[in-house]
Amino acid sequence: MSLKEIAIVSGKGGTGKTTLLASMIPYFDNMVLADCDVDAPDLHILMEEEDLDQQDFVGLQRPVIDLDKCIHCMKCVNHCRFDALTDDIQLLTAKCEGCAVCELVCPTGAIVMEDYAVGKITRSQTPYGKMVHARLIPGEETSGKLVAEVRNKAKETAQKEEADWILIDGSPGIACNVIASITGVDTVLIVIEPTLAGLHDLERVYDLVKRFSTEVMVVLNKSDLSDKGRQGILDFCQKKDIELILEIPFERALVEAVVEKELPSLYAADFFKTIGFEDMIKAVKGE
Amino acid sequence: MKLAVLSGKGGTGKTTIASNLFHSYGQAILMDADVEEPNSHLFIQPSIHHSSLVSRGYPMVDQDQCDLCGLCGDFCRFNAILPAKKEVLVSKELCHDCGGCKLVCPQDAIQYKQRSIGKIHEGVTQEGQPMLYGKLNVGEISGVPIIEKMHQMTEDADRVIIDSPPGTACTTVAAIEVADYALIVAEPTPFGLSDMQMVVEMLEEMDIPFGVVVNKAGLGDDNLHAFCRDKGLEIFTEIPFKREYAQKSAEGRLLSDVDPDFHRKMMELGQKIWDREEA
Repeated sequence: MSLKEIAIVSGKGGTGKTTLLASMIPYFDNMVLADCDVDAPDLHILMEEEDLDQQDFVGLQRPVIDLDKCIHCMKCVNHCRFDALTDDIQLLTAKCEGCAVCELVCPTGAIVMEDYAVGKITRSQTPYGKMVHARLIPGEETSGKLVAEVRNKAKETAQKEEADWILIDGSPGIACNVIASITGVDTVLIVIEPTLAGLHDLERVYDLVKRFSTEVMVVLNKSDLSDKGRQGILDFCQKKDIELILEIPFERALVEAVVEKELPSLYAADFFKTIGFEDMIKAVKGE
Repeated sequence: MKLAVLSGKGGTGKTTIASNLFHSYGQAILMDADVEEPNSHLFIQPSIHHSSLVSRGYPMVDQDQCDLCGLCGDFCRFNAILPAKKEVLVSKELCHDCGGCKLVCPQDAIQYKQRSIGKIHEGVTQEGQPMLYGKLNVGEISGVPIIEKMHQMTEDADRVIIDSPPGTACTTVAAIEVADYALIVAEPTPFGLSDMQMVVEMLEEMDIPFGVVVNKAGLGDDNLHAFCRDKGLEIFTEIPFKREYAQKSAEGRLLSDVDPDFHRKMMELGQKIWDREEA
């Protein structure tokens, strides 16, 4: 069986991506997990994990300034388009985009671009299979690049293990880290809530996802929160001909499961049976 | 005072708190800096009086002048310009508009063209309160330039409430870097606590003082409260988890309009925060 990748995104935050992914795990034999929500990774909280290896992630290079060589010609300051260099040639790291123009224009070689670790990427063993996850140092850039690294490492691991599935926990939003989570996957699940904000965000994330050649399916979480909200989602899915494969009513047991650090579908097995979770899994697997 | 409202974890209630604080207490401009998925305008319903485009440059190569030396591709850190066999290819979305490729080109074959990456909408509410929000075009990789533009536009404003994006990466940093104070909206669940801890780390690194609002209190466990106690963090107010709140928000209602108790809490929150400014 060839390797298939499934990514879970949402547009809006807090709709239940990680909770859903964790619930899906027991139904997938022979899989690798990839937590691509690199600035707020949470999947590991539910796993008994043993770290196998860890590497620093170098996102961008950063300029290192040797003030002894500096002749204060101000070429670097004047050419920097991101206001990342002060008048006394100090680097404002939050603004630096690592473009290296300062190194290029410096006449004395006082600026040298050097590797700079902005996070860590870890491969772990969990009771369900291997997991690749990462943490971006809070406030750092290049989350998109780190996500791509997590994806690559997960694929490498999956190929080595001859795994059948990679399950990808995505992040909220629609920009670089989400794009990097969904490129090249076979199926995207969009987890959404029946709210006005949720519908608004669904429209945008769907607009993004449909640009990629991937299957798209929607899961409506906390479905009984609002009839009006629910109808809005149903109407949108019908209009765009998107498959709504599961509705999950709000259930406190799912929160309890997370508090107890257990996979929700094991902790509240009866609930998952009543909502038809197994049928959803079949739909996702394309059975 | 510029107040950033952030959370780490998505869906904890940043927009709920920021919008209702703005609606109840007012005396501030509301900036929705979650440019990937802006939502406050859905609740606040401003009447928009001005919309502007936010642009970024990208290289245009004069293929006649170009001799395919490849120096532009060698220089570019973002894989945005790629000399191929017969011509130079440009990936506009990847370009950071740093100006480097033009500097290295020995044939002076590169000029920059502008393209729109998103919009900023400015408006007022029915009550005459000003707000602005940014919206990133779908497919773009970063909303940071839009956020920076909104900061420029409100540079001289006395009081701004900045509804920030989730997470702790570059868009969140861009949203909060002008803040004098931050409010972390946290939910008392394991994911909520874990993500809040990352936000605390970021705020400490950026030297921005902060307080906490606990939303959906009663939903999960006590660990968030224990964490706040251990770190000596001030919890300004707690909003209980109520299905009614979730339902009304789902329908786009401002909770301050729906529940006098919520309105009172927003007024108290406003007083506590702006009092801090006066102190």
